Amino acid sequence: MKTLTIIAGVMLVFVFVWERVDVVRLGYQIERSKSQKILLERERDQLQVKVSSLAAPERIAKLATEKLGLVPPQQGQVLMVHQSGSAPGLARPSSEPVRLARHMAAGGVNE
Amino acid sequence: MTAGPSRGRRYVMLLVFLCGFSVIVFRLVTLQVLQAAELTAKADRQHQKTVSFEGARGTVSDRHGKVLAMNVEVPSVFGVPTSLESPATVARHLSPVLHIRTGELEKKLRQDKSFVWLARKLEPEQGRRLEQMSLDGIGVVMEGRRFYPKGPLLAHVLGFSGMDGQGLEGLERRYDSQLHGEKRVTVLQRDALGRTVFPKGVTEQVPTPGHALTLTIDEVIQYIAEKELEEAVFHARAKSGTIIVMEPQTGAILAMAVSPRFDPNVVAKLTPDRWRNRALTDTYEPGSTMKVVVAAAALEEKVMTPGTMVFGENGHMVIANTTIHDHEKLGWITFSEVIQKSSNIGAAKTGMALGEQRLYRYLQGFGFGQRTEIDLPGEVSGLLKAPKDWGRRSVASISMGQEVGVTALQMVSALSTLANGGVMMRPYVVSEIRDAKGHVLKEVLPQVKRRVVSPDTAWMMTTMMEGVVTNGTGAKAAIPGFRVAGKTGTAQKIDPRTGAYSSTQFVGSFVGYVPAESPRLAMIVVIDEPQGEAWGGTVAAPVFRRVGEQVLNYLGVSREDTVKIALAAREN
Repeated sequence: MKTLTIIAGVMLVFVFVWERVDVVRLGYQIERSKSQKILLERERDQLQVKVSSLAAPERIAKLATEKLGLVPPQQGQVLMVHQSGSAPGLARPSSEPVRLARHMAAGGVNE
Repeated sequence: MTAGPSRGRRYVMLLVFLCGFSVIVFRLVTLQVLQAAELTAKADRQHQKTVSFEGARGTVSDRHGKVLAMNVEVPSVFGVPTSLESPATVARHLSPVLHIRTGELEKKLRQDKSFVWLARKLEPEQGRRLEQMSLDGIGVVMEGRRFYPKGPLLAHVLGFSGMDGQGLEGLERRYDSQLHGEKRVTVLQRDALGRTVFPKGVTEQVPTPGHALTLTIDEVIQYIAEKELEEAVFHARAKSGTIIVMEPQTGAILAMAVSPRFDPNVVAKLTPDRWRNRALTDTYEPGSTMKVVVAAAALEEKVMTPGTMVFGENGHMVIANTTIHDHEKLGWITFSEVIQKSSNIGAAKTGMALGEQRLYRYLQGFGFGQRTEIDLPGEVSGLLKAPKDWGRRSVASISMGQEVGVTALQMVSALSTLANGGVMMRPYVVSEIRDAKGHVLKEVLPQVKRRVVSPDTAWMMTTMMEGVVTNGTGAKAAIPGFRVAGKTGTAQKIDPRTGAYSSTQFVGSFVGYVPAESPRLAMIVVIDEPQGEAWGGTVAAPVFRRVGEQVLNYLGVSREDTVKIALAAREN
């Protein structure tokens, strides 16, 4: 009985020490994870800035005109077509209108 | 065996021990009692680390959530001059990475200081290279840097923030208290190797980032306005220009463009002249655009009707010993034609028919001489003298848009009132404030300021201003397929050297709204000091047309001649 008590006591001491060590180990692990989180957040923000600057209308327009050879539609080349039932025009459109680019030379309607 | 020497040795030993013990006790008392506070603090300094965290500055986005300003953590590099053995060598290594001259760096590193900033808020790549170099006495810390990813787009409205994250201009300044993040100081424990130990029993609190702003601005409309304005200012070889696009029913500003532009990412070498928001800080004599306000007052007071006949005095009329001229010799014309043909004499007669008090009351009613209360800093109230300070010619002059100073924002706000059936709205640019988790803290709703004129008067003015575009001075503002209401303005500037009206410096403007029957946009275009042809109808009206057409297309507003095509397949 006495031996068992001693063994149990020693075990308890070991458990206590192990718990203390584990707390410290987990503490370091949490710190590492936090550092990693900060790095990832930083990278996310940098990428978001990059995405925003790449999506700038000025840049897109420049690429469209200089690289793809597109030109802005001229007067009368854009017609809004509304689904039947929705009145075109005066009030704020309730549904997203469909844009049609009318090719002036051919006179046809191409979507 | 003798007791003497043995006893003597015992006493000596006792004495030695007593002395030794006394020394220990004395030292213990010194350390534990006398120097306790000082040494405890020293120990704390060694195993505790005080870290100051600041929440990131809030983002600014347009009405569709497109990011216009945001914070990113970037590296800053500092030196500890007192711990450097060879500042010259360190400076030589750092120079190519920091792009700073070696001599300049060496000078900083030779200072008798324990801390000196070498370069702040660098590119992330520079920080990585510095960390790889791991130079003794050189450290890298991360700091929040404000980025404006769209460059010059909307720069005059956004403003910019300083090196320490404080808002200095524009929205950054006006909403600084909402945008800046919370500052929090946390004490962390560190081990023998200097690593941070997770504080036991302490719930670490991350500082709250600043609030995010959502604007009424649409970045595409803003881009269209800026692009067209830059082009117009360039071709007219003008000093500057302004465009404001506003939603008449709400007062929401869709675009506010100022030329010349600047990049808020690089403001160090710019002067305030470059970044001030001329749309609300600069006043100008509006010239003929003011006739719209006088005409609306005359209609409201029933002094005139659109059909009232007015004699144009064949192009010149003497008032208070000065002669007023029209650009064409007009005889009897209707009141509508006074506006269409922009007759100075007709406007002067209208003003005189109204009288000083009523004219002044309506000028105030339309918002002149007072701030519009837009949520941007630096707005001026313009210049509108009280009737007691008016001269004999003032009524006629003010009716033609002279002797009165207005901002572009005041003028578009006044026209917007007519577009909105006579009700003036408060212009605003921030529509929503959200916290870091996306919860709406404040939603800004359209705010009615007052009714200025009746819906009937507003409608009559709209019809009259449509005539300006269809048959009058504003023909170049016409947008095919849409009814446009507007008014041109060409005003001589005061020459500061002579104090008289200059014959070479003008302000050309056009202000109006479209579609006239159900306005979606109210817009003003102001071109300051165009060279060559300076008429508002020539330099500003075409810009109105180009911006208006593109914006209406973008918003999906239908032309009058829209063909209704039934898309049966879609319905099914």
